[in-house]
Amino acid sequence: MNPITRRESIKKIARISTSLAVSLGASPLLGWKSIHASAGDKGFLIEGVGANEGYNVKELTRKVFEAAGGVGRFVSRGDVVVIKPNISWARRPDLGATTNPDVLEATVELCLDAGAKKVRIADNTIHDARRCFAVTGVGMVAKRTGADLVFPRSSLMKAMKLHGHRLDAWPVFVPFVEADKVINLPVAKVHGLSTLTLGIKNWIGAVGGRRNALHQDIHQSIVDLAGFFNPTLTLIDAIRIMIKNGPSGGSPSDVAVKNTLILSDDQVAADAKAAGLFGYDPRQIGFIRLGKKWGLGTYDSRELVQQRVIL
Amino acid sequence: MKAKHLVRIRRISQAFFLCLFLFLLVESRLPEDLYLKYSLVFSSDPDFRLDWPVTFFFQLDPLVWLSGLLSAHRMIQGFWWALGLLVLTLFFGRIFCGFICPLGTVHHLAGMVKPSLKGDRMIMANQKTSGHRIKYFILIAVFVGAVMGLNLAGLMDPISLLFRSLALAVLPAVGTGIKEIFDQMAASDVKVMNFLSYAAEAVVSPVFGHGYPAYKTGWFIGLIFLVILFLNRIRPRFWCRILCPLGALLGIFSRFSILRLEKDDAKCADCKSCSMSCQGAASPMPGRTWENAECLLCFNCFDSCPEGALSFRLRWSPGLNNWPEMGPDMGRRALLAGLGAGISLPLLTKLDGHIHHVSDPRLIRPPGALAEKNFLQLCQRCGVCMKVCPTNAINPTLAEAGMAGFWTPHLVMGQGYCEHTCTLCGSVCPTGAIREISVSEKIQRPIRIGSVYLDRGRCLPWSGNGACIVCQEHCPTSPKAIYLRKQVVVGPDQSLKPVQLPYMDLKRCTGCGICENKCPIRGRPAIRIIAAGESRSVKNRILLTDQ
Repeated sequence: MNPITRRESIKKIARISTSLAVSLGASPLLGWKSIHASAGDKGFLIEGVGANEGYNVKELTRKVFEAAGGVGRFVSRGDVVVIKPNISWARRPDLGATTNPDVLEATVELCLDAGAKKVRIADNTIHDARRCFAVTGVGMVAKRTGADLVFPRSSLMKAMKLHGHRLDAWPVFVPFVEADKVINLPVAKVHGLSTLTLGIKNWIGAVGGRRNALHQDIHQSIVDLAGFFNPTLTLIDAIRIMIKNGPSGGSPSDVAVKNTLILSDDQVAADAKAAGLFGYDPRQIGFIRLGKKWGLGTYDSRELVQQRVIL
Repeated sequence: MKAKHLVRIRRISQAFFLCLFLFLLVESRLPEDLYLKYSLVFSSDPDFRLDWPVTFFFQLDPLVWLSGLLSAHRMIQGFWWALGLLVLTLFFGRIFCGFICPLGTVHHLAGMVKPSLKGDRMIMANQKTSGHRIKYFILIAVFVGAVMGLNLAGLMDPISLLFRSLALAVLPAVGTGIKEIFDQMAASDVKVMNFLSYAAEAVVSPVFGHGYPAYKTGWFIGLIFLVILFLNRIRPRFWCRILCPLGALLGIFSRFSILRLEKDDAKCADCKSCSMSCQGAASPMPGRTWENAECLLCFNCFDSCPEGALSFRLRWSPGLNNWPEMGPDMGRRALLAGLGAGISLPLLTKLDGHIHHVSDPRLIRPPGALAEKNFLQLCQRCGVCMKVCPTNAINPTLAEAGMAGFWTPHLVMGQGYCEHTCTLCGSVCPTGAIREISVSEKIQRPIRIGSVYLDRGRCLPWSGNGACIVCQEHCPTSPKAIYLRKQVVVGPDQSLKPVQLPYMDLKRCTGCGICENKCPIRGRPAIRIIAAGESRSVKNRILLTDQ
């Protein structure tokens, strides 16, 4: 724990008190709960837990977004929203290697309800994209909701300047840069090199090129990517988390059921919270530490407005 | 029926079957809009299968059926079609060649478009020569070879040849050309160009293949195809008349055909129009003996005769004394040479030791492939498995399988890998050389296609050149066949580096090759797959526990 200097503590007190004042002052006027009013200043972190047996995953997803003030707060009418699930592997949903299709479906529906002109689902998969789309259930989600499922063609990978600390120019999956709003929808898993794969690591699926070389400096590389893509929201699917054999898994015994969703407008905060599900302190995870260092977000609970939704 | 109508029906039939062939060829791939009703409680992994019967033409092909029957003593799936065709041929002659065969249609077109030969030279080219016996030689060699245990039918079978040429050479070559243009457009800064490129690619990729599909020896397959197309400029339907073993087979079966060319010598004005347009060089001119076994039933002679001297008739009771001269003109030399080649080829091709000693380490057969000896009895080298492989891993061999296995399928992990839960190749193999397997069989038994080995000198963490766990990350088995151990290595700058080093567990490895495919060291990756350990070969297994 870093010692807090006097100057810092004064600053912090000032900041917290202003936000408190704003939230107290604004909430009666706008009829919002305090969490929303302070969002301009503080990040929010919502944890949704399906505590009852037989709870509905889509319902939990909707409740979590509701707690954040509704998708309409983030998605404007006429927006093109691009959602980035993690569907890297052609694995069936119960193996926990890919984003839960129910969570994805609810998110797409909410975006469309909020007036999004177009919702796209994009991921540059590792296994063959056609098989990934089919096996993970994402193809069916796209078909049912009318969302565009973007096929990761090589012509859609365009070299761009990332201005990162490790990565300078890299081929980027075009839909993400052409989007009005980007929602990151990773699944929480363990990983051999980065310890965990959560929201920040999910951005590897938004680039092309020789991605396998990124592992030589994985933490800084993915933080660079996260800084570049800078999603509006991060919703971590921890309904099932992969606790061993990550990130590809392959057996139901690799998976633990946590019935949890974590929504935040702060990539670092979401990842830090999800790291807790695996029993890690955020500071143990390199990319979370680096994310905070380079100003992508925070895992300091005092700088976040937190809420818990239980279904 | 009038000749004009017969010719028209023939053209419609040719166009229909060529289009059907092309359609099934294009459909021999995973579609992009593959949907699955997911639920969160899947009992097992789905086995994806294609919607269309893409092997229909192979089932219709008696050469595929009979060569497999002679070599492996097995009936291929759907052989009833081929049997039906043989019965049809018994009654109506080589109707397949004139009306159905897509390769025949391609040759027909190649010979018809601006014919290189005019007038008398064309009439000369359409005379039967002793060269026509070559196809019988090839047929006999194929059948005798098949009896001896080596099935070479697919090298010359018209359906296999056309599928292979189009799927492994023509489509990928055109596709790569188009893709290069699209990629340039996509890289442009003009927004409209980008958009056009994306849109066009979405239309073109499902037909020509995603990305840059590549097939080893594809250039050679394409070159041969171009050469046999060019031969039509020397003689129309050169292939069908002189080389095609299926044509020879059907020619033999057409011997007792009741559909016969009737000639009225008195009406003939000797204009030679019939010879001018004859596709099979079957001597349609009155005064000569019509060559039943050579006739492709194009009905051009019937249609072109201005005097009405020629007509096709059904005759139920052919005079018995007519039969000998209507039989195929095989020649004793073709028969003997065919016997000689058929016996010597299977014996010679075993000399490289691929079957009885140890196979080439690069010979990684698709999952479900039969043991090498049985595999070579059935494989038609048609390329359907190569075309459907979603990762482009399955490629034709050059020398990996020895001479006997030329152009048979093997996996090239530099290009693709065998996806853990994909079982598509076995489901489309027309002869069952690759057995149809289910996902659960593939991953639970497991079916190994090879085994992994590591080149520590090139591996990034082992050589102290950097952190990397890419092979372990991608390893699809659970628990992983590639696992990590934390160790300290000495880097190139002599500093001690704590790294995670990959190790492998042969008991779990299925040889899928995704590690080799994804290894950041390209060209010759630090982690590679060799055929050793494959389940299909008793000799090639490594572990005592693999029984």
